[in-house]
Amino acid sequence: MKKNLYIVICAVLLSGCASDERVLDLAGLVSTNGESVNTRFEQSMAYNNSRGEISLDMGNDEYVVYVCTDSHITRGTHRNLDYFIDQYRAETAPKIAIHLGDVINAQHNFPCADSILHFAGQTDKDTVFVTPGNHDLYFKQWSVYREYFKSGCYWFETRNGARKLDLFICLDSADGTLGTDQMQWLRELLERKSREGYRRMIVYTHTHLWKLDMSQGFTSNMALEETYELTSLLGQYKIPYVWSGHQHARQSVFFKGVNYLVLNATKDSENGQSYMKVEMGESAIYHYIDFPRL
Amino acid sequence: MKKLMIIIAAMVLGTGAVAYAGNPGFGQRRYTVTGLVEYSYNKAWGHHANFDVQGLMPFNPHFEMEARVQFSTANVHSGAVQLRPKFEVPVGEMFLETDVYYRGVARNRMSDLTAALGVGYRMDYVSVTVGVYCRVLNDWDRSIYTDESYVVEPFNMLYRLEVFCRPQNNPWNLSFLISDMDDYQLERMWQPLFGIGAYYDVTDHWRLNFAAQCKPTGMFHLNANFYGATFRTGFSYRF
Repeated sequence: MKKNLYIVICAVLLSGCASDERVLDLAGLVSTNGESVNTRFEQSMAYNNSRGEISLDMGNDEYVVYVCTDSHITRGTHRNLDYFIDQYRAETAPKIAIHLGDVINAQHNFPCADSILHFAGQTDKDTVFVTPGNHDLYFKQWSVYREYFKSGCYWFETRNGARKLDLFICLDSADGTLGTDQMQWLRELLERKSREGYRRMIVYTHTHLWKLDMSQGFTSNMALEETYELTSLLGQYKIPYVWSGHQHARQSVFFKGVNYLVLNATKDSENGQSYMKVEMGESAIYHYIDFPRL
Repeated sequence: MKKLMIIIAAMVLGTGAVAYAGNPGFGQRRYTVTGLVEYSYNKAWGHHANFDVQGLMPFNPHFEMEARVQFSTANVHSGAVQLRPKFEVPVGEMFLETDVYYRGVARNRMSDLTAALGVGYRMDYVSVTVGVYCRVLNDWDRSIYTDESYVVEPFNMLYRLEVFCRPQNNPWNLSFLISDMDDYQLERMWQPLFGIGAYYDVTDHWRLNFAAQCKPTGMFHLNANFYGATFRTGFSYRF
């Protein structure tokens, strides 16, 4: 409660500042500060179409996926993210990594996240895929986000030679909604891809769907109608895993045959931070790995 | 923004403080049956229509009950029951509220059950309710051969603040509302609903009702977007 009060007070104070590094802008309570989710979706699709499909040949049926979220990078607060990237780079098995959004904390912080920016481009199998979080988009930062990560909504597949392995679908939920166009795209994509013989399809996005605890107070979810619709759709296509962040607290929910995993934050200043390592084979086995304490 | 918030707070508190002008008593509410039709839109279900039937049963000056059902062309059907013990205080009325909301989301083969406890206070121009609620979501196709269970969201807050232009026993009124609940849904606490309500007593028995509601999303992502709206009208018969 004290923490929430502190956040509110800071938000009110900071909303009146003229600093370049404002953390919150309360005008966003009333209307979005930047492009709507439909506009971002349209721009993401335009980039995806120009780039072509991403199909990563892992050279093996088994590989690992490193997943982290909510690093909230500011100047000098990238210890955990750097550690995550170091562990990922040291991995000897075929690998990919995914960041589930809120890479940065506020405006002008993207350059501070340089350990992850090496990977921007998302075309190689040694890469970090990123999904936008609400903090990534504060203060009209979508254009900056696009410069680095190009697209907020996309899919990629892994394969071993000609054999298809897994499909990964990234959704842009940085506004707390997928919007009408992205939802329609997801329906059509799942319908089409469900017939292509993947081992499994995995969805990842920033905003978590369930409100199981109040540990983070201000983390909001999608509207109820969208929760119903999205969980039903994911269950219909037997998506085994949905990975998300935003909550800063680990959660696991099994609903309509889908495992919804919410990860701890990677943010330096929070307790109990961890990331997730998933061994992808005939089954997908995940475990959480704590960041070292200072 | 700060000034705006202070002005709104002052208006709300100010009207509340001077408002109570000898209301004959909220305990004198009458048995009422209401029929409503709604046009509604949201980004998940698109355009749809809802049909509502509501009953208010003030059994005695200290206890009333409301029951409501809604049928929707979006294939989502809802019911709600509210039990409300109430006590007059020197200025206005205090009440306790027990709410049970059920939503059968047939289009998605699931149900949403919420149970809430709240405490409220109303005066001529202001009505406030705060409380807590629990949500249970259930998959209608859940197999007995899996580990799958209900999804329980154990704790959430409910709140409702309604400000009226006229005393609540006036033959017409206009009100403004912010809440995470309406007659058929309890949203998560960071997903507020904004509404306007109005009524006009055509005769002693018949009342014409109108309400409009807007649901944004992403407000506490600080990326607020329009998500849905509802327009509702209908008649009440007061016995």
